Amino acid sequence: MAQSTPPGKSPATWVAVTILLLIGIFGTLWVPIYARTTPMWGDFPFFYWYQLIWVPVVAVLSYICYLLLRTKPASRPGVSPPPSGGDAK
Amino acid sequence: MSNVNAVSFTILVVLFAIVTVCGFAAARWRRAEDMMHLNEWGLGGRGFGTFISWFLLGGDLYTAYTFIAVPALVYAVGSAGFFALSYTIMVFPIVFVFAPRLWSIARVHNYVTPADFVRGRYGSSGLGLAVAVTGILATMPYIALQLVGIESVLIVMGVGGSSSNTFVNDLPLIIAFIILAAYTYLAGLRAPAMIAFIKDTLVYVTVIVAIFYIPAKLGGWGHIFSVADAHLKTTNPKTGKPFGSLVPTPAGYWAYATLALGSALALFMYPHAITGVFAAKRRDVIRRNMAILPAYSLVLGLIALFGYMALATPGVSQIVKSHASNTQLSVPAMFQQMFPSWFAGIGYSAIVIGALVPAAIMSIAAANLFTRNIYKEYFRPNADPAEQTRVARWTSLVVKLGALIFVLSFSKTFSINLQLLGGVWILQTFPAIVAGLYTRWFHRWALIIGWAVAMVYGTVEAYRTPGNGQLHFGSSTAPILGHIIYIAIAAFVLNLVITIVLTLIFRAVKLPAGVDETQPTQYSADPEGAPAATVPTPAGTGAP
Repeated sequence: MAQSTPPGKSPATWVAVTILLLIGIFGTLWVPIYARTTPMWGDFPFFYWYQLIWVPVVAVLSYICYLLLRTKPASRPGVSPPPSGGDAK
Repeated sequence: MSNVNAVSFTILVVLFAIVTVCGFAAARWRRAEDMMHLNEWGLGGRGFGTFISWFLLGGDLYTAYTFIAVPALVYAVGSAGFFALSYTIMVFPIVFVFAPRLWSIARVHNYVTPADFVRGRYGSSGLGLAVAVTGILATMPYIALQLVGIESVLIVMGVGGSSSNTFVNDLPLIIAFIILAAYTYLAGLRAPAMIAFIKDTLVYVTVIVAIFYIPAKLGGWGHIFSVADAHLKTTNPKTGKPFGSLVPTPAGYWAYATLALGSALALFMYPHAITGVFAAKRRDVIRRNMAILPAYSLVLGLIALFGYMALATPGVSQIVKSHASNTQLSVPAMFQQMFPSWFAGIGYSAIVIGALVPAAIMSIAAANLFTRNIYKEYFRPNADPAEQTRVARWTSLVVKLGALIFVLSFSKTFSINLQLLGGVWILQTFPAIVAGLYTRWFHRWALIIGWAVAMVYGTVEAYRTPGNGQLHFGSSTAPILGHIIYIAIAAFVLNLVITIVLTLIFRAVKLPAGVDETQPTQYSADPEGAPAATVPTPAGTGAP
């Protein structure tokens, strides 16, 4: 464990992560933008399908943040295979 | 009990039996050398990877109360109940920010509870006690509500409830809880972690089938929304106002947003949620889970729509009305009316087993808090890991027994009121825990005073709020400064203001700030390998 605490992410990464997460939070925190019936999607009023759409959107935003902040997978064979198959280098 | 549907009942009993076997078998799952350690019994060995953590956290956070109460609220008041979806949408970006830091510091210092962290960070066992007591207080009624969820299924099934002998009425509930208590005692966190797989499979199957099958039988979503709209527009004879609306009105915006935000901030302050985080193997497991846990939010959104489906289902309103307008029966009643009896049995099982998983984790989390931050801190400072584990096991039994007695002896309304207060209370530990992850600027005594004032204010404000046919504890929202807002958020703002002002004063007069046993780099540490159980505890021996 030579380097177990790598804070070495650039400020730009942190800014990007902050913005993405704030988008995720404010998307449904600001009620007036979606408290309406139209446009309908099929039989669903806007209020309902907007919020349901936000669920996968937030999942994607969080996943991007996870990728941005991920430390290089520790190169220890056998314990847990790195998810992206990314061999260092 | 004459009109119990034999098919549904048999399926529920069989699935319950399978879960029981798994619960006991879990004691041997991922077995460690020394099980008599809180890292093992209370945190499942701190070794759960992404996959198990996903099931564990999902099974932990989405409780029977969610499956019963959220659709019940939508059934009763319409769109206002959908704040729960908004809440579960914003909770994961919020938790994404601080949970990895909390995990790291807990792993480095071998903390088992959030109160362990607060105590170590601020060098204040008093602040640790405040966090521990708040956690236990908020968790107890939450466990009780799991029982209320099971009860509503049993009522609709016709099991119990009709006999004049109350003991016979409650017998199924008592048996279920004794079995739950027994395997939790034996296997600790491994039991709910294993059962969570069955729970979530049942929940996903039930929800996916219901969301396609029931609307098709009822005549489509257009019909469901128009029935719901027509009903919500009618006047509620109790209030003289419409029941609700299909879309929030401007008067309800603040309530909707503050309920969602307040609940999202509060969720991961609950001891059982933090227990789920601490049980993770690696730091990355937590962030990865924040990206995949929203799958449960989608399920929650669909379950919320059950409220409208139940409104459009013929026969549900009669069942609800015949039980003193208990809207919590709406979803089980809809299953009964719409599903063939074998699939209704699956749906009932999903709700009942869905209650067992969180109830187990909550009792473990409360037991960890009691053992670490009250028993060891104030009574037996030299308690070794084996003694701590013994005490925690017994505490988990006491906690569950307490919840059972509570539900059987007090009115259901009382449990729900306390649960409402629990949300208000638990949010008041946010400044100490989350701010503490980033800065030592806040003074420990300022945090304690801010917490205490907010606890009292929140309780009084909730007590003073009439509604829902009650004089007190009628609603979790109250008119504050011209807007209807969630009481927990009002108390939280008050808490923050007091804490900041007092910190400025205390720092100016140089009150002792206490010793911080943590170091900045430890908050991003990602130690690997053997869980701390095999290491002689480095942190626990810090201060006498």
